[in-house]
Amino acid sequence: MHELSIAESLLDVALENCKSKGFSQIGSIKLLIGKASGVMPDALLFGFNALKEGTIADKAALEIQEVPVTGHCNDCRKDFTTEEIYILNCPHCGGVSCTLLTGRELMITEMEVF
Amino acid sequence: MKLKLANKILTANERIAEGNRKSFDDRGIFVINLISSPGAGKTTLLETTIRDLGDEVNLGVIEGDIMGTDDAERIDRLGVPVVQINTGGACHLDASMISDVLDELPLDSIRLLFIENVGNLVCPAEFKLGEDIKVVILSLTEGHDKPLKYPIIFQESKALLISKIDLKPFLDVDVEKIKRDARSLNPSLEIFEVSSKTGEGIQQWAKWIKTLIS
Repeated sequence: MHELSIAESLLDVALENCKSKGFSQIGSIKLLIGKASGVMPDALLFGFNALKEGTIADKAALEIQEVPVTGHCNDCRKDFTTEEIYILNCPHCGGVSCTLLTGRELMITEMEVF
Repeated sequence: MKLKLANKILTANERIAEGNRKSFDDRGIFVINLISSPGAGKTTLLETTIRDLGDEVNLGVIEGDIMGTDDAERIDRLGVPVVQINTGGACHLDASMISDVLDELPLDSIRLLFIENVGNLVCPAEFKLGEDIKVVILSLTEGHDKPLKYPIIFQESKALLISKIDLKPFLDVDVEKIKRDARSLNPSLEIFEVSSKTGEGIQQWAKWIKTLIS
């Protein structure tokens, strides 16, 4: 949702890191996007490609790795993975007291710079 | 050259929200972000809450709408400090809109601030304003399938108010399903069935608010 403003922040973080470390061109940016983060990778890519024109990231490719939603059941103490974007109940025991472990990520993990 | 990073894409909004949070914390103001679909009863609930709590607690309100000042006028008639934000098109309030109006409120004499967000069950869930908690209102007339259709707001909220509960005899709505599904998404959600019209549930809601700010 509102991927354009997220793309704007992403670009800001990338440009800031590139320049502050003394580099002048970004080749690629690796991202982790959790499936429960609310961010649609395609929409983010679209926004990023529109915004990067005229910046030192204008040739940068976005490599997006989606992180699945995993949780821990506080009842049966087992971990699980789900295809959904939210956790309703534990697939092992049906318990409803679960803690989200992964799936809300929205971060840059690596950049290729020149 | 590969640069290894672990940078959260902390949006500009979150940074400003943190600034708002600090302004509120420095003054001991508890902030509730009120979210619902258009017409679920946010403003009416606020009026009812003000009538119940207004004598005991110093209240303040920020109203958010795309256009118009109706809501702020209603709050103003109850003698509570209020400021109206018109987004002019944006479907949600964001942290910068809040920080822009803080000067217009007598913050030093407010203990509890309600921010009534733009009517929308989707986008407000994702834009922090600097609030302490989010409260979602779902009116009975919206149907019992809404928690599962809009999971994020139910997961993000501290409390759910099921409003217009006085209409229950006239509707085929399964209130228990609303509560069950909402609690599946968020086991620690406080749930109140309320009617601003009859006053049902309002005292429990007000009592709970008082425990948050005591």
